[in-house]
Amino acid sequence: MDRLFRRRVEARFADRFTGPVRQRHDETEIRIGPADVPDVLRTLHDDPELRFTYLSDLAGVDTGVVMQVVYHLWSDVTPDWLRVIADGLPRDDPRVPSVTFLWKGAEWMEREAYDMFGITFEGNRDLRRIYMPPDYTSFPLRKDFYLADDAARSPGGGVRPMEQPHTPQEATVATALRRIRS
Amino acid sequence: MTATAGRQSADDPRVTLDEQVGVFEPVPPYPPRTEREAEFYTLGDGEMFINMGPQHPSTHGVLRVVLKLDGEKVVDLDPVLGYLHRGVEKLCENADYHQTISQVDPLEYVSSLFNEWSPVMAYEKLLDVEVPRRAEYIRVLSGELNRIASHALFMGWMALDLGGLTPILWSFIERDEIVEMLAALTGQRMLFNYFRIGGVNGDLNHDFMSRLGDWMTRAAEQIDASLGLLNSNEIFVRRMRDLGTIDSQTALRMCMTGPNLRATGLPFDIRRAHPYSIYPELDFDIPTRNEGDCLARYLLRIDEIKQSLRIIDQCLHRMPDGPIIAKLPRLLRPRPGRAYAAVEGPRGQYSVYAISDGTDQPFRLRIHDPSFIHLQSVGLLMPGHLIADTMAVMASLDPIMGGVDK
Repeated sequence: MDRLFRRRVEARFADRFTGPVRQRHDETEIRIGPADVPDVLRTLHDDPELRFTYLSDLAGVDTGVVMQVVYHLWSDVTPDWLRVIADGLPRDDPRVPSVTFLWKGAEWMEREAYDMFGITFEGNRDLRRIYMPPDYTSFPLRKDFYLADDAARSPGGGVRPMEQPHTPQEATVATALRRIRS
Repeated sequence: MTATAGRQSADDPRVTLDEQVGVFEPVPPYPPRTEREAEFYTLGDGEMFINMGPQHPSTHGVLRVVLKLDGEKVVDLDPVLGYLHRGVEKLCENADYHQTISQVDPLEYVSSLFNEWSPVMAYEKLLDVEVPRRAEYIRVLSGELNRIASHALFMGWMALDLGGLTPILWSFIERDEIVEMLAALTGQRMLFNYFRIGGVNGDLNHDFMSRLGDWMTRAAEQIDASLGLLNSNEIFVRRMRDLGTIDSQTALRMCMTGPNLRATGLPFDIRRAHPYSIYPELDFDIPTRNEGDCLARYLLRIDEIKQSLRIIDQCLHRMPDGPIIAKLPRLLRPRPGRAYAAVEGPRGQYSVYAISDGTDQPFRLRIHDPSFIHLQSVGLLMPGHLIADTMAVMASLDPIMGGVDK
């Protein structure tokens, strides 16, 4: 835990925080609102005293109540990972500005978060599904997507012949009962 | 076989297909969804599309790349992913902490130990477990062996994708020795499932140690011998030089890591940049190269093999005694919290962001894979090069589709 770094971050962005700064093991965690993402990340990236030039990871998270986008950054000024959580995205229409203007490589990570959670990254010029078929409409990593049932029910289910859901004729209640009786 | 409307499905005779299947049209049958897609699928004067894959031998898995060509020059390309998507993150959310280790194993099947290492490290942070020192040494030892196996295979693939058939047979000699060694240690040849939360699954045994000692005496010469096949081959070297060049700032903007980033001159290695395990105690260098082209990426991996041999040597000399796994209950319920752990694998940074909600299953497990990141920079490197060089550039970035598609 880098307490000095924590004080520096607090002095710099205190007015942007939407939650307490947390530190555990080798991680420092800050929470900001989605609208502040471009500003805060640009400052972290460009400031010669912060130098967070390396985006280690970009993840979408569904807490069941709100959506989050989590950025992990690395810099040589601190031995900690910096975790920036863009918190409080509404689940029915999660939107957050894209960071592709800083890291072009975030494009596919944002596409993945869009594909899996339905989070719209405003400013990403290639925001389409990356893993799932193009006409798929569910978002598989959301907490209200259950494994077996939803996959069979989801409108994308009939896209490929192998995934075509069909009800075998012999599986009706009547035939099952007949089989038991005979 | 021609696909006609109304024919029966090969998978299930009860299903009648009313559309063509098995034919991959380069242009998707729906209007463009994004700005970039619209730009890509609009042909300029004299341009054409060509489909590479999804079953192309040089794509290291199942990947489809739509190439936009002007004559034989690549103008732009659009990789289409998802053919190997298994939803590992969702499966992990529905498995308990121990089970997730075997779920993440097949992601990057060439270097499975690194897939296991990052989630295991993240869980140890969630649980505040201290790993016994012997276990850390065994992890580093087996991990570095796996790194050599992966790089050895890379050298063969690299040549194979350029049309040379012999080097892959030579590199399989090296890889097979290491894989057999790791099989003696872990019980598996490829998907090891060896790391456990708080340690490793089994102690070093005689079979492993005798194989390792035997191999270490001749590893350096043997690798040099198989390298002579490529490094002094003028066709290979001239084709690779100045191909797919990327500079360090662009590589950082593309979020690249590992050998691909170090080949541009930045000595960024998680083992030193954000030390974990026992790497701070070990003496090894981080090789870099300044050219940033395919040849640099290839040569850098060879330098890394030599450093890995140094690390293995030190591990063997310093291996402490003691337990190999921390004492933990069978059913793990970490306190609610978040943990992030990253390790330096043969392809770059493998990392895991794990969220615990206090139950025995991870609430969210985000897996970051370097292949996924590196594959997207192919689109940046290719424009202006010949179509045949697509394979060379892609092979030099060394993506594994199992990791890309998760």
